[in-house]
Amino acid sequence: MHEVSLVESIVTALEKMMEEEGWTQISEVRLRIGVLRQVNPEILSFAFETVTKGTPLEGARLFVTDVPLEYRCRECGQMWGEEDGLCPACGSPSRETLAGMELEIESLEVEENP
Amino acid sequence: MKKIVTLQQSIMAEDEKFAAAIREENRKRGLLMVNLIGSPGCGKTTLLEKTAELGGFPFAVIEGDLATDRDAERLAGWDIPVVQINTAGGCHLEANIVQKAMESLPLDSVDVLFIENVGNLVCPAEFDLGEDFKAALLSTPEGADKPLKYPYLFASSQVVLLTKTDLLPHLSFDMEMFTEDVKKLNPEAPVLLLDASSGEGYDRWISLLQERIREKRAHGR
Ligand SMILES: Nc1nc2c(ncn2[C@@H]2O[C@H](COP(=O)(O)OP(=O)(O)OP(=O)(O)O)[C@@H](O)[C@H]2O)c(=O)[nH]1
Ligand SMILES: [Mg+2]
Ligand SMILES: [Zn+2]
Repeated sequence: MHEVSLVESIVTALEKMMEEEGWTQISEVRLRIGVLRQVNPEILSFAFETVTKGTPLEGARLFVTDVPLEYRCRECGQMWGEEDGLCPACGSPSRETLAGMELEIESLEVEENP
Repeated sequence: MKKIVTLQQSIMAEDEKFAAAIREENRKRGLLMVNLIGSPGCGKTTLLEKTAELGGFPFAVIEGDLATDRDAERLAGWDIPVVQINTAGGCHLEANIVQKAMESLPLDSVDVLFIENVGNLVCPAEFDLGEDFKAALLSTPEGADKPLKYPYLFASSQVVLLTKTDLLPHLSFDMEMFTEDVKKLNPEAPVLLLDASSGEGYDRWISLLQERIREKRAHGR
């Protein structure tokens, strides 16, 4: 279900961009998606195929890069990647999430009129 | 002619503009906005009723509901200004719709705006509505394994509310696993245990809100 919402957001954003930039086609879409976002890659591809039908994105290739978790301790600066609560170096609960939450359109391959 | 365009922009960029506008509006107003997210029936409307009963501060509510206005009616009985957004089957609220709904609420005369999001643990967590914080609700009958199954909600909320704790004696709810898993995902979020039948646990919820209201007012208005 949320894969469909995501694809709808992508299509709305890209259709608008296409019009503004004067691209005639988008042939490739590359996404970066953090592991915490629970996006199922198969459902996402299926949603992409279905939702893009009849839009200028129909037939575009979709590539998804999974972005692993990355935390940084606010106390000591230690970086780590497992879904573990406390800092493995100093035990502090205060941490920043540097990566793993992404829902990002990384790049596109577009067709332009010369 | 083909070319590669690097965007590196959020999929939600469009929604995020609306969310940012709401945040700015509320900053100026000094209004606290809280987004309540949990499964259907986990106790979101009950939480709002208890907050009206025990809180002692005025608040308004935006109700996201798939089809009915039952929840809005329940709250209207408490003299709480409510706007209902019917998502007509849509599984989450979006900031552009919330911004419109806010126009019909008396936001200058309340301290908090609560959003009761559509009952769902996944989609509502993805969409930033411009809130100050999200509260994740889980009711005990749903099971202690839910935080790890729905990590984004629990990792991105600032408080976790475990509701219906009066039912614990009838369930095999693994409280240790639950608190451990929440701590893994979100070590700084307080976990509050709420029982609507006895009113137990709400004092912490109310004082957390009062503190956030004070902070928000100090920076706005
Ligand atoms: N035993 C018990 N029941 C509760 C508690 N809190 C809520 N309930 C009951 O759970 C049911 C659902 O509560 P609601 O507050 O309507 O839940 P909701 O999350 O608003 O539901 P939707 O808006 O339909 O998704 C109601 O019958 C409540 O009376 C509690 O602490 N203990
Ligand atoms: Mg409700
Ligand atoms: Zn550390």
